[in-house]
Parts: sequence; C-alpha cells; structure tokens
Amino acid sequence: MRALVWVLAAAAVAALAIVPFTLSPVMVQFGISMLLFAVLAQGWNIIGGFTGYASFGNSVFFGLGTYGTAVAMVQFHLSFALGLVIGAAVAVAFAVLIGLPVLRLRGHYFAITTLALSEAVAAIISNLDIAGRNQGLILPLIRGDTMFYELSLGLMVLATLTVLWLARSRFGFGLIAIREREDAAEVMGIPTTRYKVMAFALAALFSALAGGIQAYYLTFIDPASAFDLSLNVRMIIMAVFGGAGTVLGPVIGAFLLSGVSEVLASYITGVASLFFGLVIIAAVLFTPKGVIDAARRLPRRGLAYFLDAVRETRL
Amino acid sequence: MRAIKFVVLGLVLALFASTASAQTITFGASLQLTGSLANTGRYYKDAFQMAVDTINKAGGVKVGDTTYQLALKILDNQSDNNLAVRQYTQLLTQDKVDFLLGPYASGTVMVTSAVAEKYQVPMIEGGGASGQIFSRGYKYIFGTLPAAGSYFRSTIDMMGKLDPAVKTIGLLYADDSFDTSVAEGTRALVDHAGMQVTVDERYSTDASDFSTVISQLKSKNPDAVLVAGHETEVLNFIRQAKSLNFSPKLYSFTVGVPTADFRQALGSDANYAFGMTPWLPLASLKDAYFGDAAQFAAAYQQRFGYAPDYHAASGVADVEAFVKALEAAGTTEPKAVRDAIANVSFQSLYGHVAFGANGQIDLPQTVIQVQDGKLATVFNGTDFETQPMYPMPAWSAR
Amino acid sequence: MLVLQVLTNGILLGGLYAVVALGLALVWGVLDIINLAHGAFIMLGGYLTYYLFTGLGLDPFASLPLVMLAMFVLGYLIQWGLLNFLVRAPMFNMLLVTFGIDVVLTYLAQIMFSADLRTIRPAYAGSNFTVGGVTVPWTNLLAFVVALLLTGLLALFLQRQRWGRAIRATAQNLGAARLHGVPPRFAYALTFGIGAALAGGAGTLYGMVAQLTPYVGVPLTAKSFAIAIIGGLDNPLGVIVGGLVLGLAEAFGSLWLGPTYRDAVSLGLLVLVLIVRPTGILGRAS
Repeated sequence: MRALVWVLAAAAVAALAIVPFTLSPVMVQFGISMLLFAVLAQGWNIIGGFTGYASFGNSVFFGLGTYGTAVAMVQFHLSFALGLVIGAAVAVAFAVLIGLPVLRLRGHYFAITTLALSEAVAAIISNLDIAGRNQGLILPLIRGDTMFYELSLGLMVLATLTVLWLARSRFGFGLIAIREREDAAEVMGIPTTRYKVMAFALAALFSALAGGIQAYYLTFIDPASAFDLSLNVRMIIMAVFGGAGTVLGPVIGAFLLSGVSEVLASYITGVASLFFGLVIIAAVLFTPKGVIDAARRLPRRGLAYFLDAVRETRL
Repeated sequence: MRAIKFVVLGLVLALFASTASAQTITFGASLQLTGSLANTGRYYKDAFQMAVDTINKAGGVKVGDTTYQLALKILDNQSDNNLAVRQYTQLLTQDKVDFLLGPYASGTVMVTSAVAEKYQVPMIEGGGASGQIFSRGYKYIFGTLPAAGSYFRSTIDMMGKLDPAVKTIGLLYADDSFDTSVAEGTRALVDHAGMQVTVDERYSTDASDFSTVISQLKSKNPDAVLVAGHETEVLNFIRQAKSLNFSPKLYSFTVGVPTADFRQALGSDANYAFGMTPWLPLASLKDAYFGDAAQFAAAYQQRFGYAPDYHAASGVADVEAFVKALEAAGTTEPKAVRDAIANVSFQSLYGHVAFGANGQIDLPQTVIQVQDGKLATVFNGTDFETQPMYPMPAWSAR
Repeated sequence: MLVLQVLTNGILLGGLYAVVALGLALVWGVLDIINLAHGAFIMLGGYLTYYLFTGLGLDPFASLPLVMLAMFVLGYLIQWGLLNFLVRAPMFNMLLVTFGIDVVLTYLAQIMFSADLRTIRPAYAGSNFTVGGVTVPWTNLLAFVVALLLTGLLALFLQRQRWGRAIRATAQNLGAARLHGVPPRFAYALTFGIGAALAGGAGTLYGMVAQLTPYVGVPLTAKSFAIAIIGGLDNPLGVIVGGLVLGLAEAFGSLWLGPTYRDAVSLGLLVLVLIVRPTGILGRAS
C-alpha cells in the first residue's frame, strides 16, 4: 500500500514534468503559479503545520527572496542562479535573526508579529534606492516558461521530500513535540529554541526560492506584489485544506484550490473573488482537518462527516 | 494523487476555448473590473466596447480584400498583476485573440507588456504613461497617454503668465513609477521656467492622512502646489487642506479633475482646482467613426450614464490605431501590423495619433480648472481660452 | 508653530485611530478571536451612513446610533450563525474564516455600491477654528470626542453591567459565564455584535474625514491590529493610548523622516512593542 502511494507520486511528478511539452502555454503558466503556491504551502507547513507556530507573514520570506534575486540581477548584474542563492541567503539570515525574539511569542501574538514584519520590511524596501523604491525593478526578459516551470516543479519536489524527511526524523518529532506541548518538549531535552529557529529558516528557504523564481519569471517586481499579504492567507488555506502537518496535504491543497481559483477567474470573471471567499469559509468549516482526512473517512461516515467536523469545534 | 490528475484534466477541458470565426478580428484585454483599481479600470471596458461596436456598425475593417468584423474578449484581473499576466497569455494562446489592448495603470502595463513582447503580438494601451514602460526597448508596446514627465508642462507655462506671478512651488507626489516620473519631469520644467521648488515631498501610495504634509506646506507657503498622485489621495488632500485652512494661490492635480466622479465627491470644494487633460470633448476633434469628440461624448454619456474623460478617449484611440494599422498593413500578420502601428498618423476624436520611436504618443496637455462646479478649458499651451480663477481665495472667503 | 500643529494633527488622528480599533480590540481581548473582517465592518458602517445622509438627509452624527444598531445585528448574526461553530478549532481556522468574510463583504459592496469614491459631506465638513496659530478641524475634534465617549461607555459597560461582567467572565472561562446566568453562545454573539457596532460607528466617523470605497477595509484592519497591540487588550482605555501613540508616531515620522517613512515607523514601532512587551504599553507584564 505504502509502496503504491510512492509509485503513484513518482508517476504524477513524471506526468507533471512533461506538461510544458504537451500542454498549452497557459497551462504551463498556470502550472508555475500552482507549483509555487505548493512550495509556499509546504514552507508554511514546516513552521505552521509541524511546529504549531501559525505564521501569518511568510510573505516576508517570499518578498525577500524576490528582492534578493532581483537586486542581485539588476543592480549587480549577477546570474539568475547566483541571484536565487543570494535571495535565499538573505531570507534565511533574516529568519534566524528575527526568529530568536519572535519565536518566543505564541498564538495570535506570533501570527500578528509575522504579519507586521512582512509589512514593515515592505515599507522599508519602498524607501531603499538600491531596491528601486516603490517604483520596483525591471528584470531582463527571457522567453523560457519551460525553464521556470521545471524549476518550480523541482523546488516543489525538493520541499516535499524535505517535509517527508521531517516526518521521519528526530528533528521532525521534536517539532511535533513542540507543537503538542512546548514546555513538555523542553523537559524531554529537546532544544526547542534551536529547533524552532531551524524550522523557521527552512520555511524561509523554500519561500524565498519561490520568490526568486517569481521575480525573474514576471520580469517586474514592486513591494506591493512581492509582499502581498493575501499570499499568506492563500498559502495557509492551501496547507490547511490539504491537511496541515501531513506530507502531501499542502501540495494537494495548493493544486485543488489553485484550480478552483483559476476556473473561477476565467469563467465567472467579476465575481470570482466573492466565490473564492465563500470557498475558503466552506472549506475551513467543513474540512478543517484537510481533504486527506476527509477522503479517508468520508466513504464510511458519509455526509455525517461534515456535521462531525462542525460539532467538534462548535461552542 | 488522483486528485491532481483530475484537476489537470478538468482544467484542460474547462479551459478549452471556442475558436473565433474566420471573418473576425478579436482584441483581447485583461482589465481591472474589480479590486482596488476598478474605479478607473472599468472606463476602458466601456471605451473598447463602444469603439468596437461603432466600427462594426460602420462596416468593419477592410484588410487587403477581406472585410472583417471586430470582436472583443475582456477578462477581469481583479487588480492583480499576476493574474493579469496569466490572462494575457491565456488570451493569446487559448482564446486565440489576434491583438492586445492594454490594461489601466503603469505597473500593470509594465508586467503585461512583457507578454506582448514574449509572443510578439502588438499591444496598444491607453492606461500607462510612466517612462519606465517605454524605456525597455520593447517593440510590441504602444501607448496613447502622453509622457508622465511633461504632465505639468502646460501648467508651468501658464503659471509664467499669471499675475501675481508664481515664484515658489510645492511639489508633492506619490512614490509609484508614474508619479515619480511626473516629479522628475516637473523639477526640470520648474527650473527652466525660473521658479523654485521650496517643498518637495514624496509620499506612500494609498496614504490617507496628509495633515503633516499640509502643515509643512502651510508653514513654507509656496505660491503654487502641484500634486501628482491617485484620485483618492487627491480627494483626501483637498478635504484636509480645507479642514486645515490651507489655500495656496493655485493648486493643480495630475488626476481627478477631469472626471465627473471628482466633482461629485467634492461638490463645491472642487472649485478652483486645476488639472490637465490630453483630451476634451471638442467638436473640432474630427473622427472617422464618431463624427467628432463632442458627438462621441454625447453618445457615450447616453449609453453608459456617465461622461467620458481622457481615459475613455484614449481607449477608443487604441482601437482606432489598430484599425488604421490593419488597413495600412493589408494583412493581420502580427509583425506587419506592429510595423504599421509604428507608422500610423491620423486624426481622431482623441487628437492626432502617432507614436514616437519608443512607442509613446506625444500630445499636449490642456490646463483645465473647476469653475463654479463646471470644467473650464483654461490654457491650451500657448493661449488662455478662459480666464483662470486666480489667485484662489481663502476657504473662509468662498 | 509647525511642531504644535503637527502635534495637534497627531492627537486628532490618534482619536480617530482609537475608535477604528475599539471593536477589534474588544473581540480579540474578550473572545480571543482576531476578526480580519473588522475593516470591512467599518466600510459597511461608512456606506450605511452615506446612504442615510444622501438618501434621507440624516446628519452623520445623528445616524451614528442607527448605524451601530444595524451593525450590531449583522455582527450578532455572523457570530451566532457561523463563528460560534469554530470557537474550538485551531486558531488559524478562525483567521481564515474571518478573512473569507472580509472578501465576501468587500466584493458584495463592490457589486452593490460600485467602485465610485463616496464622501459624506455635511455643511460643516472642513470647518475649523484657530487657537494660538494652530488650526483645529471641527469634524476631527468631534470624532475625537465621540471616540472618547464610546471607549468610556464600553469600559463602564464591561465593569458595571451584568452582561458586561458576564462577557468578561466568558473571556476567563466558558463555565464562569454560566454562573452569571448567560449562556456562552449568547455571550459570544453579544460581544461580537458590540464589536461590529463599534466598527460601524467608526465607519461613520471615518467616512466624514476620508473617502469610502469597497476596498478601504484591509488597511483599517491592519491599523487596528497595531493600535490594539500597542495599547494592550486588557482594558478598553488601551486603544486610546495605542491610537495616540500611533497617530503621533505617524505625524512626527512623516515630519522628520518624510511621508514615505510613516508606515515603516508605525510598523517598526508595532514589531518593537510585540517583541519587547507583547501585552502592550498598558497591559500587565507577561
């Protein structure tokens, strides 16, 4: 059974890898955005799903990755590869530095602090000459959607394998222990501070790489799009809808919700956002444990599954 | 994992678009119909629709020996630049539109013009004026809004002729690409006119509180205040200027003043505000399809229930420029049409349409002022058409 | 002189900020729910005031109680019919659902009210008086007074009223609320309703000094967070402190560093408070 899952997963990756050669350019572009969202959701999964620290500001890492890559390429004329590395390094360094004080906070305070951090960094960048202030930066144009697609796919696979490793390693168990009861984990001898900072840095790494790809792909960035707050909501809803704290959940959530949102945007153009809002509410209300859990139990419980979900969390 | 395949498969089927019929030329655009830019983005939808319908009624477009009808495919990008890029790609590759009409706002034009360049299909846009768009050496982007740097040129020319003379200037601008370009151009123009910028402040786009800036302006008291920003910021500025009792001899705004929305939102407080427009609904602006700009404005008002401003006229000019280029090219092949666009030169309701080497139009801005609740055409670049209400009286004396 | 004027501007802005944040702080402090739709409630309150003013000619200050009542009903229903079902879910579920509500309300507003800019302009809008060279706008001053009044009334309600005490007990623990003879579901809905009413009132005041569009909500929610956190959630008076601190920081940040630094200043301040003293300036030390 287990083996079958992995064979299927490998087949799915292979199928996804040939998309640029078989499907239309729109599907490739949609694929890039979907895969980058899956990376962001997976990044959030590490800090929010496994460690239980519900960051609402991972957009700060995405934004730093975007800007690190763009500034390196535009202002210092470095290569894209080097730009990606620099963007990721900036974001990881930021995560470590800021993680030490911020990861002492819990619950809502942690969520709001990360949100405020993202906005604060955006406000600072919009005053920095080297980052093009609020006018943004223009990157060179290349006609290479296939490259961006395969890079995004590779990054998504890498992020998922990392989470798979997390789910089986001592480090990962430590994170779960922190999520369940942090003081108990401390007593058990888990180096909670170090583990939390490492999880934060891992989340930053993947988010920043996604940002770097996005920057070169879009050819133009500005603070509003790089530090877009709604990005946070999207990555969290994808992770939660798919199943927070699971290995494949965030990826499945990202694929499903990207699909829904894209179909809405092309077909009921105009009221698409409204419907997406309703989808979010319904998804959280009825499948708070994610679609993986729902798929497993729905056949047995039937529609009562949804009622159970609501009953469990109601006042 | 099955789920993924279902989604992919479902999307492929769902996104399957109908192909356009052979005798039709379709223009595609992804516009801000909802979201934060919807207030202006929707003007382009109405303008494009009006232009296409009118041209079709006049018999369509003759390209070579074939006569084509025009069609329009418009998507809503929800004021989201990422989505706009995807939608323009979708328009080209999935919906198979023939040519692209541009969205509103410099930032959105910036990212979506890359799609036109990538697929080598021309895009004509009437919504982005920032110099950044046309400095990239792109070949497939053309714009019908005049260059941002010269927005205040005619205003500064006018100020040189006023009595009492304008000597000092306060410059206030938003920090986005377009308004920064305006500010750069304005500084040079002010310098050249022998005036002096005494207050020069950049503010964050979407700022809602101008009380500090207004207090600063009040304490330095420049003769004229020039503001480059967005409509809601301009409204905030004027309302807060009133409540802080600040009235320079003259103030002028890059946006808002020509729109009906502006005068409605401010009522009598809109009076004395100067602005500029590259376009006015004048009977002297002849047009092959609409007769003239005045007739166009009347028909537009009749159909959509509000008066068109330069955004709408610019949008119509975009469609007409395509039509002229198609007729000249004698083919619908994108590269040939692109070259034809670069060479168009015709009279339209929007004015004389011709593109510079960088792809941008060059049109003079006419100075306008709200006088007793109505728009007055004050200065056309060389002469006064209406006497300006100048200097502006104190708020208490109105 | 300039400094005095900027000081006055900052204080008046702070008053407006306080009333903008009041409802969010109440719901967060008492129910431990962060309502991301708070700004959308303010927006709705503003539109309601606008239509009462342009349609019925009702003065904005006179329509304040009506708007608050209508928003109370809406808030009560949202908590009772939707959010009560999520109270025991992980915290980010509540964040996501209130975000969903925000999106739905914003786009409904776009459909119903269009994206036109709306202003509420009674005859006295923009009038002012001058004291010792400092100009004080009447509307902003009145808004400031109303902010103090609403905050004071809320504090009194929570301290003295039976239901007020029950609400505070609910915040401590669910069982305690029953001892006060108030079922928790009702206490939750009541509190959320009051929060929405306060947001509606803030909308009335906001609409008199700024423009309304369907999209004004999100920045207002963000400001409210900052104010609530800077002031602390233990006491309604905290929002007055938070509002004043933020108003003054923005006014002087804008004066000394330049207007583009105002967000950097206010958000930097927020992050600093969160890291150094997460319970706020007035809050108990953690």
